[in-house]
Amino acid sequence: MDQRPKVTVEDLLRLKRAERPAAEFWNGFERELRQKQLAALLEKRPWWRELPQLLARRAYLPVGATAILAFTLVSVKYYAPSQSESVMVPAAGAPGAADHEAAGSAAPVSSPLVNRGETVAAMGSGPMTDSPVAAEPTAEVMSRLMESREAERPSARLLADNYNGLAATEADFGKEVLSNRLSPPVRVATVASTDELASVPNPTSRRNRLLAQYEGRQLNPEPAPPAVVRERLARRLGNAESADRGSRMSRELDAFGTPMPQIVAFRF
Amino acid sequence: MNLSRVFTKALTSSPERQQEADADLTVVKQVQAGDVAAFDRLILKYRERVFGVVYNLTANREDASDLTQDAFIKAFQSIHRFQGHCAFFTWLYKIAINTTLSHLRKNRARSFFSLEKITEDGVNAQVIDQLTDKKGADRDACLQELKEKLNEALQKLSIPHRTVITLFEIDGLSHSEIAEVMGCSEGTVRSRLHYAKQFLQGELGKYLRS
Repeated sequence: MDQRPKVTVEDLLRLKRAERPAAEFWNGFERELRQKQLAALLEKRPWWRELPQLLARRAYLPVGATAILAFTLVSVKYYAPSQSESVMVPAAGAPGAADHEAAGSAAPVSSPLVNRGETVAAMGSGPMTDSPVAAEPTAEVMSRLMESREAERPSARLLADNYNGLAATEADFGKEVLSNRLSPPVRVATVASTDELASVPNPTSRRNRLLAQYEGRQLNPEPAPPAVVRERLARRLGNAESADRGSRMSRELDAFGTPMPQIVAFRF
Repeated sequence: MNLSRVFTKALTSSPERQQEADADLTVVKQVQAGDVAAFDRLILKYRERVFGVVYNLTANREDASDLTQDAFIKAFQSIHRFQGHCAFFTWLYKIAINTTLSHLRKNRARSFFSLEKITEDGVNAQVIDQLTDKKGADRDACLQELKEKLNEALQKLSIPHRTVITLFEIDGLSHSEIAEVMGCSEGTVRSRLHYAKQFLQGELGKYLRS
């Protein structure tokens, strides 16, 4: 039998407690620690290290409010709907521009809110029609636009040069080409008026078909429904009256203490 | 009575600890008032204990030295935030253990043991005699082997279990102090301690006698 005393885990771990470094170790330790301490004193602490302290001081309310404000400002700045770009309208002195303003289009021409039919009609009634006389101011407008907007681009300069050369050699052909290169309302205006549009048989253009259909149609201020609709309406109104009568009777019966099912009331 | 004193009393188990905590608090207040040199007293007082804990967690002298220094530097930098809700040594231990744990998590794969010399006082010499039954060079060889086996067994434990058994068995902290340092409940501390002891008994069965 083993007579030796017990050795437990605790005894073994007590040995670990006695495991200590030599005295020389602490000299080096102290020297290194001193250096690190001085470095830490000189080191500038980052701002986020101070955040817990700020929170501990209960400054979270103003900090939170500031954060929310900053977020809102940033959101408004970056996510606000972008303002619609103003379309460059030709100068008021230009003949084409004057006609365009006379058409009453305060909104930009390219805006979807513009009623194209009205624009077309108004412009069709104006002096800008499909004629060599009308092509003259449009050529000026075109050249001005090209000069003002795209003169700085090499391609624009090239186009302008080509146009000038073309105008010098074949004046009629140049005007015809230019009339096809104008902006959509102006181009439509140079093609034809509404009457002409209505008369042109173009099966592919739904707009033209509608224009032709409603041409000369008189709108009735009080449109009368068809006979079938009127008849159905009268029938329904009659049913509603009888239902009202029935429900009224059921309420009276309820008042007398005799409950009447709703389904019975509807049978009246 | 100040609220922080109440907390400190609840966390320090013995009157000696309470006295120690009060003395530390006085020094800490001096440091907070701007007396930087007063912090040296705290370093001198706790450097061996902190080093012991860190060394038993890392089993590496150089790492333990660096981590102990880092813990003191962090404590020095944050001493203005110490409000006395717990004892200074508990707070310092918490910093040291958190620093060590983050180091161990970063260097999980690395395991390089460096063994310190065991100081043989009366109790230790008796235990060593019981374990080795030898004298001279054989005794030293046996002791070296035992130290290696102890370190190996401790390193096989998970970090929380190793921390608990180091703080309880080697550094002598109470359950409540360990719970405070590790930020868990006393029940968790007891459970981890039980498991760690069972594991070490299995690993070191060769050296144990019942």
